Amino acid sequence: MKSWHLHRRTFLRGTGVTLALPLLESMAPAATAAQALPKRMCCVYFPFGVSLPPADHDEANWNWFPRGEGRDFGFTSTLESLEPLREHVTVLSGLSHPHGHKMGGHDTGDIFLTAAPFKGSRFGNSISIDQVAAATMGHATRLPSLTLSSDGGVGEPTRSTTLSFSDRGRPIPALANPAQIFSRLFGDDDDALEMRRRRLSSSASMLDLVLDHSRSLQRKLGKQDQEKLDEYLSSVRAVEQRVERSQRWLEIPKPEVDPGAVNLDASPKGPEEYIRAMYDLIFLAFQTDTTRLATYMLGQVAGATTVANSFPACIGLSGNWHGLAHGAGKKGGYAKLGRFDQFLAQQLSYFLNRLAETPEGDGSMLDRTLVLYGSSNSRTHNNHNYPLLLAGGKQLGFQHNQHLRFTEKTPLSNLFVTMLNAIDVPTAGFVDSTGEMTEVMS
Amino acid sequence: MMRSLYLALVIAALLRVELCAEPDLPSQPEFARHVRPLLQEFCLRCHGDKKQEADLRLDLLDPDMVTGADAETWHDILNKLNLGEMPPKEEPQFADRQRETVVDWLTGELQRAAQARRSTGSHVVLRRLTRYEYNHTLRDLLGLDRNFAGELPPESTSADGFQNNGATLRMAPLQMEYYVQAARAAMSKAIVTGPPPEVFEFHAEESAKVRRVKGKVSNRLDGKNKYLARLEKFPREGNVIVRVHAGAVIAEGSDYPRMRVTMGVRSDTQAPEAVLAEADVAASEEDPQTFEFRGRIEDFPLPGHNPKYPGLQISIYNVSAGQPDQKRNSKKDKDASPQSVIVIKAVDFIGPVFQSWPPEHHTRILFERDDDVAEPDYVREVIRRFMERAYRRPVQDEEVAGVQALYDKLRPQVGSLEEAMRDTLAMVLISPDFLYLLEPNAGSTPQRLTEFELASRLSYFLWSSMPDDELFRLAGAGELSRPAILEQQVQRMLADPKSQLFVDQFSSQWLDLFGLDRVAINPEFYPKFDDQLKNDMRAETQAFFGEILFNDLSALNLLDSDFAMLNAPLARHYGIAGPRGTAFERVPLTPSDHRGGLLTQASMLLRNSNGEDSHPIKRAVWLLERILDDPPAPPPPDVPELDPNEPDFAKLSLKQQLEAHREKAACNSCHRRIDPWGIALENFDATGRWRTEVEKKKGGRVPVEVEATLPGGHEVRGIEDLKAYLLQHEKQRFARALSTKMLTYGLGRSLGFDDTQTVDRLAEEFAGSDYRLSRLVTAIVQSKPFQTK
Repeated sequence: MKSWHLHRRTFLRGTGVTLALPLLESMAPAATAAQALPKRMCCVYFPFGVSLPPADHDEANWNWFPRGEGRDFGFTSTLESLEPLREHVTVLSGLSHPHGHKMGGHDTGDIFLTAAPFKGSRFGNSISIDQVAAATMGHATRLPSLTLSSDGGVGEPTRSTTLSFSDRGRPIPALANPAQIFSRLFGDDDDALEMRRRRLSSSASMLDLVLDHSRSLQRKLGKQDQEKLDEYLSSVRAVEQRVERSQRWLEIPKPEVDPGAVNLDASPKGPEEYIRAMYDLIFLAFQTDTTRLATYMLGQVAGATTVANSFPACIGLSGNWHGLAHGAGKKGGYAKLGRFDQFLAQQLSYFLNRLAETPEGDGSMLDRTLVLYGSSNSRTHNNHNYPLLLAGGKQLGFQHNQHLRFTEKTPLSNLFVTMLNAIDVPTAGFVDSTGEMTEVMS
Repeated sequence: MMRSLYLALVIAALLRVELCAEPDLPSQPEFARHVRPLLQEFCLRCHGDKKQEADLRLDLLDPDMVTGADAETWHDILNKLNLGEMPPKEEPQFADRQRETVVDWLTGELQRAAQARRSTGSHVVLRRLTRYEYNHTLRDLLGLDRNFAGELPPESTSADGFQNNGATLRMAPLQMEYYVQAARAAMSKAIVTGPPPEVFEFHAEESAKVRRVKGKVSNRLDGKNKYLARLEKFPREGNVIVRVHAGAVIAEGSDYPRMRVTMGVRSDTQAPEAVLAEADVAASEEDPQTFEFRGRIEDFPLPGHNPKYPGLQISIYNVSAGQPDQKRNSKKDKDASPQSVIVIKAVDFIGPVFQSWPPEHHTRILFERDDDVAEPDYVREVIRRFMERAYRRPVQDEEVAGVQALYDKLRPQVGSLEEAMRDTLAMVLISPDFLYLLEPNAGSTPQRLTEFELASRLSYFLWSSMPDDELFRLAGAGELSRPAILEQQVQRMLADPKSQLFVDQFSSQWLDLFGLDRVAINPEFYPKFDDQLKNDMRAETQAFFGEILFNDLSALNLLDSDFAMLNAPLARHYGIAGPRGTAFERVPLTPSDHRGGLLTQASMLLRNSNGEDSHPIKRAVWLLERILDDPPAPPPPDVPELDPNEPDFAKLSLKQQLEAHREKAACNSCHRRIDPWGIALENFDATGRWRTEVEKKKGGRVPVEVEATLPGGHEVRGIEDLKAYLLQHEKQRFARALSTKMLTYGLGRSLGFDDTQTVDRLAEEFAGSDYRLSRLVTAIVQSKPFQTK
């Protein structure tokens, strides 16, 4: 269904939309109104690291990290657009995934949300935190989670174009086209309810028979082929479950959202419009409670294959992203990369502002949304000291307006554990975590 | 040769096929004789039995990187050497020659290890249809010219650069969901219900008027306005025809102006539309011509069911290159070539069009039913015929019965046989037998392909789609695998227009023509560059490859040719007098054109630039990887690129910059083998235009320097020399490289050591045929890897 087939509708802006949910056993009927308000998480990744001039350098003001630490800190030019959001933002330095230390400088994007040991010839990844959360809370919304990237698809191991990985460590294809994403989230079906019901029921039968038939195929195949067929079979099974889920959601209309609210024609050739369109879509998905979990990979680390490599040139900065990152140490290089870091931070601010300006309960949407933003390189190729920023979640127990500095004794996974627990996904540990990160909590 | 042979055996052993006696590992003597003594002298004092700085002990590392466990550690060591971090500054240093010995050995061994890791042991891993194969297969299967793959995620690229590698192609729930959707949508178009639909006809001469909308409308299109037709009534399904009656006033010395026809809707602020077609207008205003365009109405933005602005819009634009553009500033307009005007006389619309009702794509599936055939028998036959084509093989009765069970379940729930059949056959389209190229072989030894499997390999190699009736017929008769028939079929398939897909896909993947989109040309440096031109550049290279294949010319033309395939915008970009239209034509070249061969094509030159200037290293790596199949080692971590902003550096010519770069021994060990290839191409700027001077960023111009010494010591001066050198000395490597790439594409898998002999033979046969691509294709099809599973 194409977006322009949609009826004209009123765009839900800042109304704190409440939507009917299907009656699910897992939903406690006695839940109070406050508890029923959603808790959400969004993780955004960008490649190639950031500009990190030394403190005494002429261009020190283009260092991504703020000056000072604790509450007494000041944003540099790079993150200055976040100044009005200070009360909602914590900058974290010194964190990283210990397993990433041994990996190639270009290889760690894959484990940003998985923390997996991922090296050598096997390249086996493990589940990402959004999917951990989806397993617990995904049933409450029409879509369990939303996976986006500028490149789309899954890419190749070490150059994945998605941040999300299933419980078996399989990459989850990311969507990249705003019109397609919009249609997936809000595209309505013009067909009558009866028709849709019938279609779902026949889908269930189709998938069932396909599974039946394919199992017998397994025996005829060699080992390598069996693995591929297994990937197919588990995909069919997952779709079966989705069909079942859709049947439960059948009578609840999709939220009505005006396609004019998002620039659906935006393409990566216009990075500002495009990145904002992606953020708008996440915002709308959250606002309509279509999902509570989202990931967005702004670009991947292969300069030669990511569409994001041309982002700087498209906004009038000289050179490609990979080149800017490599040239950071040269004269004027810190400022050049810093300007691009600043541009990306401005887009984040746009997203955070939309969340902050939308009331929800007795706060804003941002107060119930955790936004993790960062890279798995500090400077390019360096897998330590990730530039990281955590925003939102005041009503989930987080405190902000601080710059926290950690040593390598604290793995990034500790933050993941704290984030997951805060959105009601009980988590004792995640991969290499050593505890919770209490510093971000009030 | 010996070395790779031995390694092939090692791999075979790994795969538990057969273990042979252990001869000396030829790469080990190299290690023992040349490398180990150097490590001993420069490294072991700190990384040996007495001391293990950084927990590293070199003397115990396994020098065999294919079977040993230490390849990763060796890789780290190579990086340290390349970065110049080891040995530490205060310690004795390698002489340059010594460093090269160690680096070359490490690089070679690591490459072999990487190849071994990619190898799937001569086995094509169960291969899913790629996005484009899926699309073309559905088109051929259903006889419907639509885009069926629009929603599917983009494909990954394998380490050797191809998208059709079975091991790389994956499946995921989201993707499966879109397959289900696409299958349903496809079947609901293929099978029609009810009486023939109403046909809408429309005729207009004067352009419609617009209110409160940007831009002017007119029948005379000068590039700043458009022609507009508004249709109140239109179909929502089916094929439609738009006829445009138009002529042009062509400015003197100008190319034919180009017309773009779009269909879409007017919404609130935007007017979404999709392009129906583009065409050159060569006719005069006095003697206009009629253009007929066909499209599928569902592929265009249509109004919703209760829109604010009802109706369908047909818009026509003048999009000639060099035409002034509203968006651009006036300074550039002065440079634009004189304006040509397209004059629209009339526009007709008719749709939906169909030759018969139900249409052919319907009766192809639901063929005419004899009165005396009972519904279950008819249904069984419909399903069987459809399955055989979709699965690309004969099907068993049980398989048909399984699908028919779904039909039986659905039939009572819906009004008609047609509706039940849509869902039933959609199920066939999500089966693994359709989505994957199944070649079952549970044994551990290779087997011959069945006739039908061979038919599919052939058709996906040369057509990116399913086999046609003749291939099916020959496979059914058991004749396809006969060498003479097979060769005949290859010729027939290459002569079929569908082989254009082989040209387009193979050339784009081999040469990475997609890379053009990842470079943004900086308008500060190239104010007149039109991004549209990138499409022409890609098309030039595809047309060039096609010209060589279809006319059975020598593939050495890829290295140098006395002709080019050009259209008007690209010819103007190159400064060559060429065709006046946008279609590609063969244009003879003279030496002063400085063109001929892949290396002079803008697709390659622009892809390997940084959008501001040429990038000799990228160009060299591209040449080594794609043309000679001898990729250099990937760069070590933390190496800064050449930076044009370094003030002192900026004064140097690029060649001097690279020289300065190579003065560092650490850089030199790899770059001495890379840079010269790219320096010889310095006469071409970032967009592929010829130049004799380079404009420096900080002002001033310096002459281009193109003198380079190739790794073997051969001196070249610019592109002509380089091409002459390649033709004289590198024909073998080129033949081997192209054989390797095409075999990889044809098989849909990475090659392993055990394919070495096949590649040798292919290269030999290819060269022996005077480098005819058709011969190479045939030899691949006849090779053992192509015929076994």
